[in-house]
Amino acid sequence: MVDPTRCGDIADALAEVATGAASGPDRARVLAHLAECPDCRRELEELTRIADEVLLVAPEHDPPAGFEGAVLARIAALADERPPADPSAGPPAGPPAEDEPDAVVTPLRPRRWRRVLPYAVAAVIAGIAGVIGAGVVWQATSDDRDLAAGYRETLEIANGRYFDAAPIVDDAGEQVGHVFLYQGDPAWVFTVLGATAEPGTYEVTVTTEDGSTEQLAENEVGPSGGESGGRVDTRIHDIERIDLVGPGGVTYTAHLAAGWAS
Amino acid sequence: MSDEALLAGMAAGDADAMAAFVRRHQGRVYGLALSVVGVPAIAEEVAQEAFVRAWRHAGNYDARRAQASTWLLTITRNVAIDVLRVRRELAVEPAVVAEMLISTTNDTDRVADSERITTALRALPREQAMAVLLSVHFGYTAREISEQQQIPLGTAKTRIRTGLSRLRAMLEVSHG
Repeated sequence: MVDPTRCGDIADALAEVATGAASGPDRARVLAHLAECPDCRRELEELTRIADEVLLVAPEHDPPAGFEGAVLARIAALADERPPADPSAGPPAGPPAEDEPDAVVTPLRPRRWRRVLPYAVAAVIAGIAGVIGAGVVWQATSDDRDLAAGYRETLEIANGRYFDAAPIVDDAGEQVGHVFLYQGDPAWVFTVLGATAEPGTYEVTVTTEDGSTEQLAENEVGPSGGESGGRVDTRIHDIERIDLVGPGGVTYTAHLAAGWAS
Repeated sequence: MSDEALLAGMAAGDADAMAAFVRRHQGRVYGLALSVVGVPAIAEEVAQEAFVRAWRHAGNYDARRAQASTWLLTITRNVAIDVLRVRRELAVEPAVVAEMLISTTNDTDRVADSERITTALRALPREQAMAVLLSVHFGYTAREISEQQQIPLGTAKTRIRTGLSRLRAMLEVSHG
């Protein structure tokens, strides 16, 4: 049973999480509470719906000419690179073949996006420049290519597509640990906190770019640090941040987003 | 075709669905981006990025949680706020913009489904409406609002929470 005073303690922060403006520590504190409080989860859902509706007050404005084409060109350029939106809509879970770097894209996608090819000419030109550059450095990068081959073999073992890692930092930006993420079948996340982290039990929450959250196994941290991990339903590609909330509200965060303009 | 059907098409890699979705929502997305960042060239970048993210996440869209338009606007707002956090100089006078957003002088540019929330915001005490708009629209934390409006931190927090709660009460009544 949740102590009702704790619900009162987070009421202000809950409203700020709903508006999307909460600071990292406030957000992490609320998420940790939500894990055990269905009433506050419901409250957050309703307040978020209201806050989202507030966005409707912005007036419409026609974007500059060529906007639609520019958007479609960007997407066409990305369509060959991204993992599929839904694993069930993608190819078999096996790894991409050596000569098929875009095997993670659904087979229909390239043909459908060919319709927007005129918009993507600029992106293609940029790609050609990249190929020329790649030829120049081919001889100088054999170690890197060996490394890439090893990377692929590693992924093949566990039906993987890619993996990632990021530092876990405290409020002051000091690194206190790191997180490993693996997109495979299944996908998993593993957090490691070092000896500089405050000992105690940490709630671990994954947040995606569209604001969805998923709770992971707790990380028990002793004097020499601690680690925990588990499978996630969230796609690794979609994860924006991972918050670890420990004793007394101490909060550590790993940021995964590459940046808004990337 | 409904937004939901277009999003399903986008998730399946249908370029025509994406084009239709962009055409339908570009004015709204660009308008929101412009109202947050204030500079047309940056608003265009924000709006483009919002559509790219919508395409990337189309498979995760859940119609039970939000309408497609509010889902898209939330993505747009998040992108715009990411930019504001890096370039604070862009938000020159957020309080003035917030006032304009619910001013009757803007009624001619308003979209039909914004009438309900606009009426509710106007019915709030002005300081609560401002706190909610600064928080939702510009991503201002309670601390930033307290500094911007020169009020105690606790007052800023209360205005956001009370404002949202009152909006909910009003919208529930108008809905029911």
